Amino acid sequence: MTTEVKKLKTDAYHCNECVIVPAIDIYEDANEFVLTADMPGVAREDLEITMKDNTLTVDGKVSPAYLSAEDLKYREYTLYNFHRVFQVDDAVNAGGITAKLDNGVLVITLPKSEKAKPRKIEITVEK
Amino acid sequence: MYTNYDIFDDMLGLRNTIDGYFSNLAPRERAIDYPHINLYEKDNAITIHALMPGVANDAISIQLVDNSLIIEGERKPDYADKPYIRRERSFGKFKKSIRLPYAVNRETVTAARRDGVLIITLQKSPEALPRKIEIK
Repeated sequence: MTTEVKKLKTDAYHCNECVIVPAIDIYEDANEFVLTADMPGVAREDLEITMKDNTLTVDGKVSPAYLSAEDLKYREYTLYNFHRVFQVDDAVNAGGITAKLDNGVLVITLPKSEKAKPRKIEITVEK
Repeated sequence: MYTNYDIFDDMLGLRNTIDGYFSNLAPRERAIDYPHINLYEKDNAITIHALMPGVANDAISIQLVDNSLIIEGERKPDYADKPYIRRERSFGKFKKSIRLPYAVNRETVTAARRDGVLIITLQKSPEALPRKIEIK
């Protein structure tokens, strides 16, 4: 019984496919959408952002130094790789997406496509 | 013969064991002050990893008070003025006290930050090292 419970626990907490869905904020201004995600423990080279068929995928691999349980004496968190998928529609100019990672915070800027930008409508007044 | 054995200790111990199942079952449900930390210990040195992405260096203050390490600071919102579509991250002031397992050398404390993780390294104080006592 004890062994089974221990095995259950091991399977639940030490899986290879576990991911963390990072907390995100999305802001909007006239020309772009800004997506901010918290991804502590991810180095720039281990981050992968792909845009395919209106799907934006963010994958961040946590550096092994933060995953090791060696010499761990007290635990409040467990890190897994980060993964999150977004649906993006025509309002975004997919070619102009930029991203930067600074101090564990990923900022993705999605510029609006021309048709989604606010337009000023001229009023013609008949004389 | 020379122990302070008390049968009630065992009975209360059983109750603690059962209570423990309920408090430890869902470690993620426990109320933990921000930031979440992991504490590592090796060869008379303690390393603390604290997850605090997006907190500026000058917004963090680390203090040693007795045997506690106090991490204090503020996480400032990064896009506060823009209209938001979705908001899942949280910001604000925080203060956390970590009880250290032994006295540490106050001179050799180092703190670094990498990838949004604050790494604090503390060495065991010479006074806390084991000392052999000669019998005269």
